[in-house]
Amino acid sequence: MLHELLDRAAAERPDAPAITSGGRRVTYRELAELSLRMADALSGRGVRRGERVLLRSADGLAVAAACYAVSRTGAAFSVLHEEVRGEPLRHVVGDCEPVLLVGDDDSDPEAVRFEHIAALSESSHAAPTDPCPALEVDPACLIYTSGTTSLPKAVVSTHQQMLWAIGAIQQCLNYQPDDVIYCPLPLSFDYGLYQVFLATNARAHLWLGTPAESGPPLLKNLAEAKATVLPGVPPVSDRLAWLLQRGGDLPHLRLLTNTGAALSEKTTEKLRRHLPNLRIALMYGLTECKRTAIMPPDGDLDKPGACGLPLPGTEVFVIDDEGNRVPPGEIGQFVVRGPHVMAGYWRRPELTAERFYRKDGLFPELRTGDYGRMDEDGYLYFSGRRDDIYKERGFRVSATEVEAAANRVQEVEKAAVLPPTEDRKAVLAAVTGISAEEVLEKMREHIEPFKIPRRCVRLESLPTNNNGKIDRRELATIIEGSE
Amino acid sequence: MEREEVVTALEKALTEVLDQPVHDLKGDTRLFEDLHLDSTTALETLMALEDTIGLEVDPEELDADDFETVDKFTDFVLKAKA
Repeated sequence: MLHELLDRAAAERPDAPAITSGGRRVTYRELAELSLRMADALSGRGVRRGERVLLRSADGLAVAAACYAVSRTGAAFSVLHEEVRGEPLRHVVGDCEPVLLVGDDDSDPEAVRFEHIAALSESSHAAPTDPCPALEVDPACLIYTSGTTSLPKAVVSTHQQMLWAIGAIQQCLNYQPDDVIYCPLPLSFDYGLYQVFLATNARAHLWLGTPAESGPPLLKNLAEAKATVLPGVPPVSDRLAWLLQRGGDLPHLRLLTNTGAALSEKTTEKLRRHLPNLRIALMYGLTECKRTAIMPPDGDLDKPGACGLPLPGTEVFVIDDEGNRVPPGEIGQFVVRGPHVMAGYWRRPELTAERFYRKDGLFPELRTGDYGRMDEDGYLYFSGRRDDIYKERGFRVSATEVEAAANRVQEVEKAAVLPPTEDRKAVLAAVTGISAEEVLEKMREHIEPFKIPRRCVRLESLPTNNNGKIDRRELATIIEGSE
Repeated sequence: MEREEVVTALEKALTEVLDQPVHDLKGDTRLFEDLHLDSTTALETLMALEDTIGLEVDPEELDADDFETVDKFTDFVLKAKA
């Protein structure tokens, strides 16, 4: 079970630092005790095996403890970004019907039963709860992810699948007990969340950075933490490279990993120039199997453009549109097989059947929707998505979802999103009577602020093609021409 | 450099980074909560100020507190420019 990772770490290294966050630090013994108290409090509030619990808090340390606490009760947790409120929250609540929302404030009183995260930690019982009632094939975690449909859907992982993925990633990244892992990513982002489990698994010290701490002060905070590992996404690494050019050193930092999107060679070159001891491990993956491929540390120097080798004990192959495997070098869809392929999408049988395709009606293989090729040595090269997913501030965002939110603004007649290109960021085009700023502001009621494009352009009308659909190419020409 | 000059430069930098007009900043305006800066756009703001007013930052001296409000950030810039 997932929480047994923590119990083993607490038994083996009780006094080692487990998590530092916002000036607080807990050892593995304290973290285990905290999660036991929280589990006791959750049980007292009716959380049982088979239920779901939502966690939405800016307090990363408490969220980490709460994940293990929910696991102890036999329920499944879902970590939401602290900005998920209003309509996005109602969608999640309606979708997974949680028994409880645990968070910092109950500004959404109508949505679901609420409990303060601080109140959970104050439970006085630290006695071990009864043996965990769940099985390892029970759901442990739901991760909401944007897809091609307009609303997020949850990828469900069992204890077994998560533990297997954690072990396989550890085989590649080799976290050590004396590592300090500085996590600048929110725990609602699956690679951020897995840092909790990877660190516990390695009995390492996890240091959680807030968004403010991981911006301009990133270098200073990495130095203060004596961080040895930095799990990053491209904006984080780009920031670090920029800061390093202006001075400072990070003699302890031994490993930087990258996920989310391709890391630019300019950035890797700068990082290596300033930090000769640093090794960089590029990775590729998706929530549906947690992680697909990891490059050997510094493997990008020998294989430029590659995004990794399949995890040990797993297989990735490339198929054409008819589902036939294609030879090395040919571009097609990546398909993943292995024990890390998760259970499927919560209550979406059709979508699950499509993406978690069962070959011969039996054996699940994940059709990723990602396109690319494999070379003769088995390295993967990613070329793009089939659908409309793009990255905004490092988060996976669906253009359809953003458009849907813009269209929900009463004063917006019609809206369309242009995903970012190399030369410009994502832009929202809107036909509306209110100002562009007001559109962006009002969208905050309908979607998480970090998903909102930074720029909105007002137009008299949106160009359409013969089918009456929005002509994005023409729209891009109009918008880029107006700059 | 005068305080008002820094605030004007900051407004210009934020207008560029956030892709929307930012003006009439108050001293107690919070950069993250009110203006919705995040870790990426906060650094982009520094980059912009480096270009416009020649701000030179020492990465080992950058504190999260300096980015809390317009006033605190202005103090930080004035100190860096002194």
